[in-house]
Amino acid sequence: MQGFSDGGADLGQLQTTMRNIEVACTSIQMHINPAAAEATILSLSQSPQPYMACRFILENSQVPNARFQAAAAIRDAAIREWSSLSTEERRSLISFCLCFVMQHASSPEGYVLAKVSSVAAQLMKRGWLDFTEAEKETFFYQVNQAILGAHGIDVQFIGVNFLESLVSEFSPSTSSAMGLPREFHEQCRTSLELNYLKMFYCWARDAALSVTNKIIEPNAVIPEVKVCTAALRLMLQILNWEFRNDTTSMKAGIDVFSAGVRHDNGSSKRSECVLVQPGPAWFDVLISSGHVSWLLGLYAALRQKFSREEPYFLLWIDPPDVVSKAIEEGKSESEMLDGCRALLSIATATTPFVFDQLLKAIRPCGTLSLLSTLMCEVVKVLMTNNTDEETWSWEARDILLDTWTILLVPTDGSGGDALLPPEGKHAAANLFSMIVESELKVASASVTNDDGDSDYLQASISAMDERLSSYALIARAAIDVTIPLLTRLFSERFARLHQGRGIIDPTETLEELYSLLLITGHVLADEGEGETPLVPTAIKTHFADIAEAEKHPVVVLSGSIIRFAEQSMDPEVRATVFSPRLMEAVIWFLARWSHTYLMPLEETNCLSNDYQQHHSVNSKKALLSFFGEHNQGQVVLDIIVRISVMTLVSYPGEKDLQGLTCHHLLHTLVRRKTICYQLVSLESWRNLANAFTNEKSLFLLSSANQRSLAQTLVLSASGLRNSETANQYVKGLMAHMTTYLVELSNRSDLKSVAHQPDIIMSVSCLLERLRGAASAAGPRRQRAMYEIGISVMNPVLHLLEVYKDESAVVYLLLKFIVDWVDGQISYLESRETAAVIDFCMRLLQLYSSHNIGKISISLSSTLLSEAKTEKYKDLRALLQLLSSLCSKDLVDFSSDSVEAAGINISQVVFFGLHIVTPLISLELLKYPKLCHDYFSLLSHILEVYPETLAQLNSEAFVHIIGTLDFGLHHQDLEVVDMCLGALKALAAYNYREICAGKTGLVSAGLGNLPEGIFSRFLRSLLQLLLFEDYSPDLVSAAADALLPLILCEQGLYQKLGNELIERQTNPALKSRLANALHSLTSSNHLSSRLDRVNYQRFRKNLNSFLNWQNKRNGWFRFLWSFLNFSMHLEALLLVV
Amino acid sequence: MSDEEHHFESKADAGASKTYPQQAGTIRKNGYIVIKGRPCKVVEVSTSKTGKHGHAKCHFVAIDIFTSKKLEDIVPSSHNCDVPHVNRTDYQLIDISEDGFVSLLTDSGDTKDDLRLPTDESLLKQIKDGFAEGKDLVVSVMSAMGEEQICALKDIGPK
Repeated sequence: MQGFSDGGADLGQLQTTMRNIEVACTSIQMHINPAAAEATILSLSQSPQPYMACRFILENSQVPNARFQAAAAIRDAAIREWSSLSTEERRSLISFCLCFVMQHASSPEGYVLAKVSSVAAQLMKRGWLDFTEAEKETFFYQVNQAILGAHGIDVQFIGVNFLESLVSEFSPSTSSAMGLPREFHEQCRTSLELNYLKMFYCWARDAALSVTNKIIEPNAVIPEVKVCTAALRLMLQILNWEFRNDTTSMKAGIDVFSAGVRHDNGSSKRSECVLVQPGPAWFDVLISSGHVSWLLGLYAALRQKFSREEPYFLLWIDPPDVVSKAIEEGKSESEMLDGCRALLSIATATTPFVFDQLLKAIRPCGTLSLLSTLMCEVVKVLMTNNTDEETWSWEARDILLDTWTILLVPTDGSGGDALLPPEGKHAAANLFSMIVESELKVASASVTNDDGDSDYLQASISAMDERLSSYALIARAAIDVTIPLLTRLFSERFARLHQGRGIIDPTETLEELYSLLLITGHVLADEGEGETPLVPTAIKTHFADIAEAEKHPVVVLSGSIIRFAEQSMDPEVRATVFSPRLMEAVIWFLARWSHTYLMPLEETNCLSNDYQQHHSVNSKKALLSFFGEHNQGQVVLDIIVRISVMTLVSYPGEKDLQGLTCHHLLHTLVRRKTICYQLVSLESWRNLANAFTNEKSLFLLSSANQRSLAQTLVLSASGLRNSETANQYVKGLMAHMTTYLVELSNRSDLKSVAHQPDIIMSVSCLLERLRGAASAAGPRRQRAMYEIGISVMNPVLHLLEVYKDESAVVYLLLKFIVDWVDGQISYLESRETAAVIDFCMRLLQLYSSHNIGKISISLSSTLLSEAKTEKYKDLRALLQLLSSLCSKDLVDFSSDSVEAAGINISQVVFFGLHIVTPLISLELLKYPKLCHDYFSLLSHILEVYPETLAQLNSEAFVHIIGTLDFGLHHQDLEVVDMCLGALKALAAYNYREICAGKTGLVSAGLGNLPEGIFSRFLRSLLQLLLFEDYSPDLVSAAADALLPLILCEQGLYQKLGNELIERQTNPALKSRLANALHSLTSSNHLSSRLDRVNYQRFRKNLNSFLNWQNKRNGWFRFLWSFLNFSMHLEALLLVV
Repeated sequence: MSDEEHHFESKADAGASKTYPQQAGTIRKNGYIVIKGRPCKVVEVSTSKTGKHGHAKCHFVAIDIFTSKKLEDIVPSSHNCDVPHVNRTDYQLIDISEDGFVSLLTDSGDTKDDLRLPTDESLLKQIKDGFAEGKDLVVSVMSAMGEEQICALKDIGPK
């Protein structure tokens, strides 16, 4: 078909073209020969320089679709021919489009206008980098005039609309393709963001402002709404822009204006907080210009107007008490919640100070006070109807709490807490006391409802923790008021307990104290999260006027809690007051508190910084040194230790409490050296050690606590000045265990007594302790632990024999040995290493002899699966043992090398693997952790000592090869990767051996395999690469394995290649495949050596080969997956 | 005759009681416990409190080691529970008789003929098949509180 190019066009021709296009458009609509019609339209946009014709159609055609198509044609042609158009032509195209939309602004066919305006936007973008600033100015002047409303509402709307298309064109996620590199789009985006976006935003805002008054008038629907909607949409769009050029670490802003879309044709979309980063440059526009209140006002007014609700408040949250009351009386709470969200949004975009100032203009008090009052109201409502249901007040509380958190969380990264203005402090103090009051009320009320569901409890605890940290932030904002408040609340309750002892049921008070302890713990100290927490800045910097340490409010509060805790030592008080639950809170508090305040590291730093003669330094120093080493620290430490011992001894069976004591409190203490120095000299600590060795009640601790306690005690030895005393100390601690185990294993009636429950319990208990101690072995205590381990070696083997059917004991034995070897191996001298290795092999053999070929018989599927899990855990421990042994080759602190003593670690480990592998069935390899451990050990061994594989007997060899094959097809990428690594090592070793004229792996006693292992793997690897689905991440590893395999089995590779080519029926493809296969092995100067360069070359070759292969396979893969899909569908239909 | 054998067995560990008391809090998963007079293996332990400020109690889910029935119990964790003395003895399997008994060889060279085969078909098949193949089988016999049962089977291979 003839094109529609305008070369020498006259009116007649233009009219013909127009008619043709009109006919085509109509026939498409009527479905008459649509193909031909489409071709006609296409030929318009594909013809060279169709601009005249298009303009003619746009201006003269009566068929809107034809005009639409003409606009599209302009776009296509212009984008295509852009580089050949003159600057003048480019400009005129854009201004034509702009003028067109302006002139036809009142036209009813909105979609044509939208199209033309988007064409203008696209062309503008296409020429963005070529146009001079002045040229752009001209265009935007026109647009700005329109938006200002100089030419009426319709034009105003069109102007906003044009900007909207422009912004969406410039945003990478919504831009249209232009056949240009990405850099172009990026440059346009940056330029717009830096130079125009804010201006557009202001224009849109002004446009919206200019029509607001009319909209609010209680008339019927008026055309201004259209403009306002478009303007708000544009503002929203701009705020949603992905800002990139945000250089400072300004707080993330939140789109506070999304609420604006709400009235959009009654859409009921809930406003959501969309995070955007407009950057600090936007601050003046967004925050300070006061149009927040305008928008809020508009929103309220619109609600009144359109949803015909009673005009009952202007701000949904003010005054708070009235609002909350109204909601409780049945009003909709959604405005209130929206109001809370708005506060949250504003908080994210401002500093506390600016936040507070926001409402100063229209209200007597600051926003913080409003926030505080509002939240107090919410908390009050929460208090009065305390139900488990999630009511609006829950949601409001969470939103408001988030608001506080965002305001108060330190932003500058220095850890400094945000400073509030005095009024804000007052507000925070009020709120905190309200919160505490409500928490106490909830606590005392909760006594009656018995919590049965522990899962729910667990979930609520973590939510509680989050809430408590927010409370702490609020409390710290007004720390000089809140600490005394807490002190007062505590002393009231202590007094109540004291007076009412034996008369009143204390449960409510206990629960209140429980809550108070949690809150106070959060206020006073931070969670360490593995680090040493510092005293919170707010506490450090306040209380400047207090010079005497005893009167420091934090000291007073801490002191009163510690004295209270100390009362638990009295059995009588303990029985009536210190319930296990309260004791848990006490222990938790002591752990958290002592981590920060007890003999703090800062103490020394602080004392040395005397030159810093700031006023607050004195009080800070007083606080820090009060519980320091040279002051009250030792006394408090002694109290804490005595309380810990007491919880372990006097609360039998309270696992949670004892767990907190062992894992939390005691662990915290021994983590710091300064405390350890004090601990080992304390009488009470020696008592604990004594009780540990002698007292029966400590044998009743649960296994994890047992282990942890042993570890803690051994770790405290680091407080001893030299390694000799440390070793002596550890030996003293452990002597009772070794003696017992040695004596037991030497008993002649061991076999009959061993299975008595009491003996089993003692043995398990001691093994747990040994394990705990073994895991605490450091360089200083290594000697002692080594000797302990050596002395129980024979007993361990005896016990393994006797308890072979007692899986729990077997696992403990194995785990002890694993931890012990892990802690010792790198320190051992060669002779000792030999002994340890010999022992480990005996252990492995014994374990294997008990378990190979064993079948558990039980009717219960639970017991059977338990038995399987136990076996899995055992094997995992054994693999860990082998890995530890392996590490001796890598990390060795001993004075002589192991080779000197004639130990070959590789042989040992292979021997071990030989024993263990028969136990590892493919079934067990389905346990992901075991699978991972096994293959990482295997690939490590094969990479480091491939030669030893030849020494395995053929059965073990076949088994290992079988597992490798299994791993190669595993779903876990890492496993496959490790298998490929192992394969590479194996094949490379074999190839080198053959090159050196040796026999290699194949004939080394392994000739009875039906097919050489390497040919088998070559086949399966090729199969994998060519026909199966695999991750592209594996290609490099596969290439590394494939190259040595090909070199080992060149004949087979040729044969397989030929087969592949023969199977191809299409002769063209056949030759291309042959070429591809050829270049796989020959391009890039690939040689037959196995060095780094060559591996790299082969990786490249394989990559390009697979790319080619993938393209070819794409279609077949698609067909295959389609078939698969239809099968699934069929199955689904059958089920239905 | 089988009665006599039984008496002889229990005389061997004369004085050893069938159960031992142990604090509930120390009994853990995979340990043994007596629930409703039956020896069980614990498959699940959880603790909770009696009331907000009460003491801890342990909730045991356990499986009868002989009948495989599931049993549950709640005990205050400072109280004692009975723990059965569970013994396991290995015997070489000599013969399987038609009437559902096995003939076992003890360490001392005597035979033990009072043990019934499991009644469950699949377990029975595992033992019978292994025996029919001529494997040298060792059976583990678990005994507790006066009952005993075959609990495991092991092929010790041709010697």
